[in-house]
Amino acid sequence: MIETLLMGVTWADVKTWLPGFWNGFLISLKLTFVSLVLGVPMGLLLALGVQAKTRASRLTCLALVEIGRGAPALVMLQFVYYGLPSAGISLPAFTAAAVALCWNTGAYTSEIIRAGLDAIPAGQKEAAEALNLSRVDELRFVLLPQGLRIAVPALMGFSILVFQGTSLCFAIALPEIISRAYDIGSMYFFYFPALAVAGLFFAAVCIPASFLVEWFEHRAGAYSRR
Amino acid sequence: MHRQWNLSVIDSPRPVVKLEHVSKRYGAFDVLKDINLSVLPGDVLAIIGPSGSGKSTLLRCINWLEPANSGIISVGDVTIRCEEVPEKSRLTALRRQLGMVFQSFNLFPHMTVLRNISLAQERTLGRSRKEADAISLNLLDRVGLADKAYQYPVRCSGGQQQRIAIARALALDPKVMLFDEPTSALDPELGLEVLAVMRELAGSGMTMIVVTHEMGFAENVSEHTMIMAEGEILEYGPSREVIRNPKTERARRFLRAVNDR
Repeated sequence: MIETLLMGVTWADVKTWLPGFWNGFLISLKLTFVSLVLGVPMGLLLALGVQAKTRASRLTCLALVEIGRGAPALVMLQFVYYGLPSAGISLPAFTAAAVALCWNTGAYTSEIIRAGLDAIPAGQKEAAEALNLSRVDELRFVLLPQGLRIAVPALMGFSILVFQGTSLCFAIALPEIISRAYDIGSMYFFYFPALAVAGLFFAAVCIPASFLVEWFEHRAGAYSRR
Repeated sequence: MHRQWNLSVIDSPRPVVKLEHVSKRYGAFDVLKDINLSVLPGDVLAIIGPSGSGKSTLLRCINWLEPANSGIISVGDVTIRCEEVPEKSRLTALRRQLGMVFQSFNLFPHMTVLRNISLAQERTLGRSRKEADAISLNLLDRVGLADKAYQYPVRCSGGQQQRIAIARALALDPKVMLFDEPTSALDPELGLEVLAVMRELAGSGMTMIVVTHEMGFAENVSEHTMIMAEGEILEYGPSREVIRNPKTERARRFLRAVNDR
């Protein structure tokens, strides 16, 4: 059974694929990094924006969040890469992927951050107000440090999903891990072994990362425990 | 013997907190009905009464943590007409004069005790970190917790946390301290150490408004006591008089219930 699936692929074959996979892996990591570095601050802004006093900012942020969460990442990717050129905006595959995944990340993390902020007891806000802290100081010193701390484990978990989500970029011909696997598959018809190796690359990151999240979750609660 | 000049003739004491016709509704429910109240500088006022009588709401209206619907609230020389939405600067000027202590302490759990007390001093009074910390340490010493400065609040007992909360409020040099059931979340022993701090504060001449269930504090420490029920002031006067000889039947019923414990 296994032999049929492996189709006679040997370690020597796998070794020749590795440089390609490695480059694809780096692209996936880079994309994840960009999506998080731009997307999470965007999520923070959106989380604050949906609670803003001005109606216009509230509605804009709400629309951005709902579209970002409502549309599947694959649709967003194709919309940005294949759709926007009709509006005169042509982006290279990596940039298009970054835009789509940032939007997606921003929308999802805004909800995670909002939930973190909502989980802070009302008394914290009242104490800040009674101490006469300005709204900005209240956020900066009292609410965000606590809300983000609550949100960190969920944000880390979401980061793993973003990394896995980069695999969708094969649909816009970005040469990340899955695209490499497809290339090998279509060239030699070694789909199963190539995709299995691609899977190992994902597992190599995601499994340790999820242990890290678990460890962090445990640790993050420490300051509220005796 | 010193001759005591009666300065009040020249400079008659003006109330530091004054509420005129203050009302507050939650939907169709009247929480506060036409409350009138004056508190003179140095006065210690205890507000007692059954749960849901509006005591805490009244206290929270004074520093605008909850907006009242109508009436006038004055603290020092800041006046707020409750029908209007007050400008930020006026609200700041109001709260600048008021310190508040909550039932649930509400210390910031992610900061050390010292940071808890210093933060607002730096941000709202413009004190330097060094200045603020010196003042904070001094206050911690005053509430008997100098050794807790670099601990986090979770490492402190409830009574210690409440004393820290008192120090945090005092650090901003308020004219009036508002206490919202400061001992209700504490067991009797821990409550005692908080009450001792409050008693010392009252002795130092601080103006205090204290919502409480501690009859001992009301009777022995506060000059005046007010009994509230159903959003109205039932009784107001010198503490001993109000607690020993209440005039209304509702107040008598409440005090009987308290004494029967």
